[in-house]
Amino acid sequence: MLRKGLSYGWLAARRRIREMVLPVVTTATGAFLVVIVFGMSDGIRAQSASLGHAEEISRAVVLIAVTVLLVGVVEVAVATTRTVAHRTRELGVLGANGVPRRPVVAALLVEPVIAALLGALVGALLAAATGMVLGAVGLAATGVSVEGLILGAAISIGVSIVAALATSIVPTWNAASRPPIRSLTAGG
Amino acid sequence: MCLVRFALANIRRRPERFVLSVLGIALAIACVTVVRTISASFAITGADSVTEVLGSAQLWAVPAAGVHYDNDAQALVADGAAPTITVPAGWTAIRILSGVTEINGSTVSLRGSDEIAGGQATLGSEVADRLGLHSGDRVVVGGQSLAVNLDGRGQSITVATPLAKSVVGDNGWVTIFAPAGEEKRRDLGQIFGGAVGLASTSDPSVKPDPNGGGLIYDTVGGNGPLTFEQKFSALFSGKVTSSTLGLISTIGLALGFVIAVSSFLAAVQERRREFGIMSSIGLADEVLYFFLVESGIVFLTAYLVGVIGAGAAVALVIPGIATPTAWLQAAGMVAAFLPAMAIVGALVPVHRLLQQRPVSLLGDT
Repeated sequence: MLRKGLSYGWLAARRRIREMVLPVVTTATGAFLVVIVFGMSDGIRAQSASLGHAEEISRAVVLIAVTVLLVGVVEVAVATTRTVAHRTRELGVLGANGVPRRPVVAALLVEPVIAALLGALVGALLAAATGMVLGAVGLAATGVSVEGLILGAAISIGVSIVAALATSIVPTWNAASRPPIRSLTAGG
Repeated sequence: MCLVRFALANIRRRPERFVLSVLGIALAIACVTVVRTISASFAITGADSVTEVLGSAQLWAVPAAGVHYDNDAQALVADGAAPTITVPAGWTAIRILSGVTEINGSTVSLRGSDEIAGGQATLGSEVADRLGLHSGDRVVVGGQSLAVNLDGRGQSITVATPLAKSVVGDNGWVTIFAPAGEEKRRDLGQIFGGAVGLASTSDPSVKPDPNGGGLIYDTVGGNGPLTFEQKFSALFSGKVTSSTLGLISTIGLALGFVIAVSSFLAAVQERRREFGIMSSIGLADEVLYFFLVESGIVFLTAYLVGVIGAGAAVALVIPGIATPTAWLQAAGMVAAFLPAMAIVGALVPVHRLLQQRPVSLLGDT
């Protein structure tokens, strides 16, 4: 049943790809910053050293980049609340036909996970491309670390998916728990 | 009051969206507050370092090579020999030698002054704390054992000029006091600079000409409401806000604002019929007020959460840089632009809504 829920969610997500643009863009912005910060960590450390307190400022840069990524992912959850509101009657129909809560929640979570994953991948790819170009033309004096880019990409993909799931689970769970009659008579 | 109750009722209707909006904006505010805390700490450092140098002097003549803030010594240090000045009658000039030295493995700012007797070392309380020295202790500078006296809060050790000269050479600057009764004049730099043949400025961002004889900073004159210390500290905070940190936090704030607008747009979309009814009975303005109050509640809650979160983050991640004063300054600075964000965040969706005729709002689902 869970697999069917995921398949249903995948079909719905494909249909709603346009609604995912904003969450993908915000997540990609955050992911871009995280990957760039990790890829160009030597340059940032050098800049931090010129300000003094090199270690602490480098830590603060990573903290802030990851926080900005989380800000971007929150938009994924906001988009999920929008989706849930639009699909209230559809959820009512599913509930009225006896579809259990878990597959419905799984179906609703496919969209935020795809948006978060797409955003993180787009941001990471853009950041890697930017890092490579900066490194090639010599604008990054301290060079761009490939290991850093990979680590940044892994962190941004992991954080994006986990944060998208964590922030989207409550609205989707609440929507799937509503009595079908209420969902069917709702305006959305 | 009625508007607040209405806004709270709407928040209760969609609590998860309120929580998400608050979370997004709070994270963005936390980013900016962390960066502003760091920049405020730097500004305080800059103001303290220049106040330590100037004391109550009106002019500061620096060498052609300039001065710089030494991160290890945590004080301003001269990069070249102090300008040669023939002091006009009535003026008082104090030549201070400046450089760095190592004491017990720590880099310390060393200054030389004719006002300090041989065998004595005067320490600011901050450097004394850093070195673990107390009044009456002994400290070795340039191979000589000196008696420690504490005076002021600074990060420098001041010793007699001959001893300082043996360690730092002729590097230093001159602090200048105007004749009695003329201390408040705003053209002191020009008068003194003209008399001694040196250029003067009230802008601390201006660097001396490396091929010239030095530069006089006028700490009293200049246009604008900012004092010389404030302008000097702005140079320090500007380093942070224009760095990677500042750039990333600004992007974070922009994303937070996008989330707020997106969330309000979603709320507007869901409540079209409700606002259609209100508009059709002539309550179009009230729709705007409802959203302004709701936006105000969201931003205020996000501000409190963000600022407190930022305080916890700086205490855990960068305890060596941030101070409670800097955090409070940062919180104040962030509060200054929050109302504008709250108003614009509410206006954008409502403006779109009010562009439409009430009947079209009532017709849609």
